[in-house]
Amino acid sequence: MAGFISLMILIPLIGAIITFLTRTREQARAVAFLTSGISLVISLVLFMRFDSSSSQVQFQELYPWISSLGINLKFGLDGIGMPLVLLSTIVIPLTIIFAWGETKQANQFYGLILLELVGVLGVFTSLDFFVFYIFWEIVLIPMYFLISIWGGPRKDYAAIKFFIYTHVASLVMLLAIFSLFFNAWQLTGTPSFDMFTLLKNYQVIDSPLLKDAIFLALLFGFIVKMPAVPFHTWLPDAHVEAPTAGSVILAALLLKMGGYGLFRVILPLLPYSGSPGYLVTLMAIIGVVSILYGTFLALAQRDLKKMVAYSSISHMGYVTLGAAALIPLSVSGAMYQQFSHGLITCVLFMSCGVIQHGAGTRIIGDLGGIAKHMPKLAFLMLAGFLASLGLPGMSGFIAEFLILINSYFTLPTFVILALFGIVFTAGYHLWAMQRAVFGTYNEKLGHIHDIATYEMVSMAILVLLVIYFGLNPNPVLNMMTTNAKQLVEFVSLKGVIT
Amino acid sequence: MSLYTYLLIAAIMFTVGAYGIITQRSGIKILMCIELMLNSANLNLVAFSSFNNNSTGQVFALFSIAIAAAEAAIGFAILVALFRVRDTINLDNINILRW
Amino acid sequence: MFGDYAALIVLLPVLAFVLTLFLGKKLYSGGALLPIAAIAGSFIISFGTFLEIYPDKTIQQSLSWFAGMNIGILIDPLAVVMLMMVSFVSLLIHIYAVGYMAHDPAKPRYFAETSLFTAAMLGVILSDNILQFFIAWELVGLCSYLLIGFWYHKPSAAAAAKKAFLVTRVGDVLFLAGIVLLYFNMSEVVSSRAFSLEPGSFILQFKSMFAAIPHIPPGQLTLITLLFFGGAVGKSGQFPLHGWLPDAMEGPTTVSALIHAATMVTAGVYLVARTFPMFVAAPNSLLVVAYIGGFTALFAATMGLVMNDIKRVLAYSTVSQLGYMMLGLGAAGMAIGAGAVGISMFHLISHAFFKALMFLCAGSVIHAVGTNDIREMGGLFGKMKITAITMIIAALALAGIGIPLVNFGIPFSIGTSGFFSKDAIIEGAFAYGEQTGDLIPYVFAILAALLTSIYIFRLWFMTFTGTPRSERHAHESPNVMTRPLIILAVFALFFGYTQSGFYGYVDKNFELMGVEMAVHEGEAVPPSIIIVFMPVIVGVLGFLISYYIYYQRKLDVSKFITSENPVYKLLINRYYEPKLASDIIGVKLTHNVVAQSGEFVDRKIIDGLIIDNIIGRTAFKLGEVMRRLQTGVVQNYAAVIILGIGLLVILLMLGGV
Repeated sequence: MAGFISLMILIPLIGAIITFLTRTREQARAVAFLTSGISLVISLVLFMRFDSSSSQVQFQELYPWISSLGINLKFGLDGIGMPLVLLSTIVIPLTIIFAWGETKQANQFYGLILLELVGVLGVFTSLDFFVFYIFWEIVLIPMYFLISIWGGPRKDYAAIKFFIYTHVASLVMLLAIFSLFFNAWQLTGTPSFDMFTLLKNYQVIDSPLLKDAIFLALLFGFIVKMPAVPFHTWLPDAHVEAPTAGSVILAALLLKMGGYGLFRVILPLLPYSGSPGYLVTLMAIIGVVSILYGTFLALAQRDLKKMVAYSSISHMGYVTLGAAALIPLSVSGAMYQQFSHGLITCVLFMSCGVIQHGAGTRIIGDLGGIAKHMPKLAFLMLAGFLASLGLPGMSGFIAEFLILINSYFTLPTFVILALFGIVFTAGYHLWAMQRAVFGTYNEKLGHIHDIATYEMVSMAILVLLVIYFGLNPNPVLNMMTTNAKQLVEFVSLKGVIT
Repeated sequence: MSLYTYLLIAAIMFTVGAYGIITQRSGIKILMCIELMLNSANLNLVAFSSFNNNSTGQVFALFSIAIAAAEAAIGFAILVALFRVRDTINLDNINILRW
Repeated sequence: MFGDYAALIVLLPVLAFVLTLFLGKKLYSGGALLPIAAIAGSFIISFGTFLEIYPDKTIQQSLSWFAGMNIGILIDPLAVVMLMMVSFVSLLIHIYAVGYMAHDPAKPRYFAETSLFTAAMLGVILSDNILQFFIAWELVGLCSYLLIGFWYHKPSAAAAAKKAFLVTRVGDVLFLAGIVLLYFNMSEVVSSRAFSLEPGSFILQFKSMFAAIPHIPPGQLTLITLLFFGGAVGKSGQFPLHGWLPDAMEGPTTVSALIHAATMVTAGVYLVARTFPMFVAAPNSLLVVAYIGGFTALFAATMGLVMNDIKRVLAYSTVSQLGYMMLGLGAAGMAIGAGAVGISMFHLISHAFFKALMFLCAGSVIHAVGTNDIREMGGLFGKMKITAITMIIAALALAGIGIPLVNFGIPFSIGTSGFFSKDAIIEGAFAYGEQTGDLIPYVFAILAALLTSIYIFRLWFMTFTGTPRSERHAHESPNVMTRPLIILAVFALFFGYTQSGFYGYVDKNFELMGVEMAVHEGEAVPPSIIIVFMPVIVGVLGFLISYYIYYQRKLDVSKFITSENPVYKLLINRYYEPKLASDIIGVKLTHNVVAQSGEFVDRKIIDGLIIDNIIGRTAFKLGEVMRRLQTGVVQNYAAVIILGIGLLVILLMLGGV
């Protein structure tokens, strides 16, 4: 299996370059689809070969790079990264299918999408902090262009806001990474950016203040990306202006990088931080506030897409809550929420895109009864909305159920608060459906056409995946649970019954 | 001759170049001063290389000369372009970098 | 033999759902035959299983699922009677729907959704653990949402569907909270080693739950059962979450019959019955169940008196009868323990028959006259004999008309199914009153029985007697619709005679699971003759009142039916519940106040004040000042650079490197 990971990252990179050089959109999308498809096949092979009973890093690859600073291209997968790699390689080809009809500067468009794939795969597989950071930043650039070239009327504002927010967060994170690096260098005598080495040496830092500072800096870097309240306002703006494909990638993959950081970096540090009690509470508060705040804000929105954006904030709050609870199954539930939300949110944003394209508006009040002319879309959209509101039988329920039921052991108050949100979550989804999709047809919309076949194919595949992972979570959940257990070995094993 | 002689000459060249850059108004002269400073650095490299019996410095000097040539070419090209547009190469009058 | 294929009871309708959804358009009558065949299969397997396990066996199959949870099947007496009832009633209603929905273009969707509903409902019944129960429970809620909004182009249907989902969702969240709490307590119990799971059993299985009851602190147990009951309140339309059920009548009448009368709404009652050992161990919860149930029975009946929409009357009747079932569980549960499950379930099943029958009759009438408003009906008896006769049978059953001959030494009584089932509940409430001196639930029950009888005969007289008040030429429905009516009428008439056998069978339910609970400790002291006759007396009294007002028209009630009359106004506005739920709580409080203030914080404070003004402005101001340093003169830059280097050199020298 050696070399598979680097191959998986390299092929879309080469594909991106070729795509930029193609002249027609037919060539561009073919190359893009093909190369992302190859990545999907590779990640599927890795997924099949993955040993979910082991919490060790698998398929590890190591290529020296800047040896004098201990920077290596070190890649590998464990139960935290594998599902997200799978998610990325599923979402990108489907996004390309969905955007099959893109006409504006098609070669650049598809090329940037492939670059996104390169970036996120790099983030989810790198085990070297320096390389991790490089990929983390690489992700920003194509997204900036996706928003600022293909975006809506306020695209420049949204793109720059997106960039500044996430970049500032990255820089704060970079400071923390350097601090960890120099700390480990002092202790071991050899410079190394190896992620596990840096994390392991965190606990020997003397000053609790410095420990907390590093922890908070890293946490800040990740929760801005997730995003968590109060650092979330870039997300609705970015989503509203971004093209559909951009929104899909942003919500399905970029947000997951923040959650990934929680599991990869934050949780191993948490018990050794200067004041773990306060920090757990802080994370729990951030999580629950995000859940409730996102829910109510979603209820207030008039733009369908903005509503979906706020629902993402709410759903990502569950990830923070589950991680903060530090119970193996709540942590794996949080990981599962990442995976599941990645699939579900694609359907939601694609629905918004189809409506925008077909009806020319996304304002809920201006729509109405579009199910009459868009029955297929209405069906798929309803499926997506139901999944998003946590209907059992779909993947979101498994995740939220695991998080709620297990977080109660350590964070009972927060779980009760989060439970309140569930009614309102159902509320804004169904209210939007009622006003936009059902009811009498708004004749002012004129004649609107239903979803295109390629759009329907990619949405239908996603819906099927959501249902599949709602009925059979084990293939993904088992590997997550293995790693989650290893992550929280130090807490008493309450609530673990297997 | 000792190493210090070379270093002294290089320092004088550097200072002359720096003085020229600050005081001169003509773009050509400033470019020439920059060349002077670069060559002072080259002189240092070669001198150290020769006295330490290590050829790396000489190689670097060669690199540096090649790059200096390229840089000079670009610099003059810019000046020519500027002259066409503004009919002057007096840098006091060319302050498009100003706020 | 049948028991081995028990999973097919659920899987057949699921298969029919998928096939009908995708292939229905190409098949006869929108693919109606697929679900009919599948549900017939489910019924046959259920019935076969019943024959196999009767009288004292159970079937348990279980598979590990995820994270220590399992999926499994538990068929015990409680489940098997429900299975047979649901699959049977669903089968009849599907057959009826072939006629009723004949002209609807969206038939494939209809049959697919009802098929999925049947699968989910059977899944609720079969579950051997509370998680799977909850999942199936939510899926029936989904199907209810889809089917209420079946005619989604009608704004009222879309709104009703949403309301139904959201109001029941409130209950579901309570239920989920109960599961969270239960899981917590179970884990505590297991990890404290006070109790260990049997090998091969799982933490949320009913049998593990029941076995752990003695180890769970009573306060927690009360909380858990109350939360479970919260779920049941939502699903079974009990006060205060009852408002969605009358609105749910926006769906096709067959849907109302299947989901909002016979099956889904009884899931709440089934939940309480299923977890009854926990309720018995938490008597305070039982008291709440009794009071809520009794109050709902009366409360809903008052609204049933004034409604003019035939389906709404029946909807309130359903709410009221569900209240009876809860009352039976609560009051009788406190009085006689485990026997309450049999009493309540018996009423549940007999109610399913006669209420499904009523809705199907109503559907037949609506099909014929094209309106829901009973003020526009009348005089249909001659035109629709079968419908009218089956309807009066159902009405008699609902009113609980019969003669309790047993008390005169004759070995059997004569009466409709409702007579046997409802009277048992009322007697249970009385027994509770006698034991504790708390007669309030009993008073609720008796008053509700009187009102029930009044509103149902009002409905019947206004619909079928008098002069026709509509021009439309009504005619009897086709055979495919009337045959199910006749079959259901037979059950509504004669099901009551299975009473003693039913009690004997279902009462053993928890014994078979190895749960120790107080069961009927001998027959209670037979109540006095007046108590025995009381339900029948009020039933007949109600009939006479209706007969007097609505048949003979001796009393003109029109002077009461004005908006001047505050009581009438309160009732016709349904105690202002719809306004409170959607207007005040939904739109005003949640949307206008909470959500909009959140929006304000987001836009004006976080984005506007902090990001734009404080951070953004500061950066701009700083830039404004700093850019003055850029003179644009190259020499200045060079000078600064050289100065900087000079400083660095000096610093290095001072540092003594």
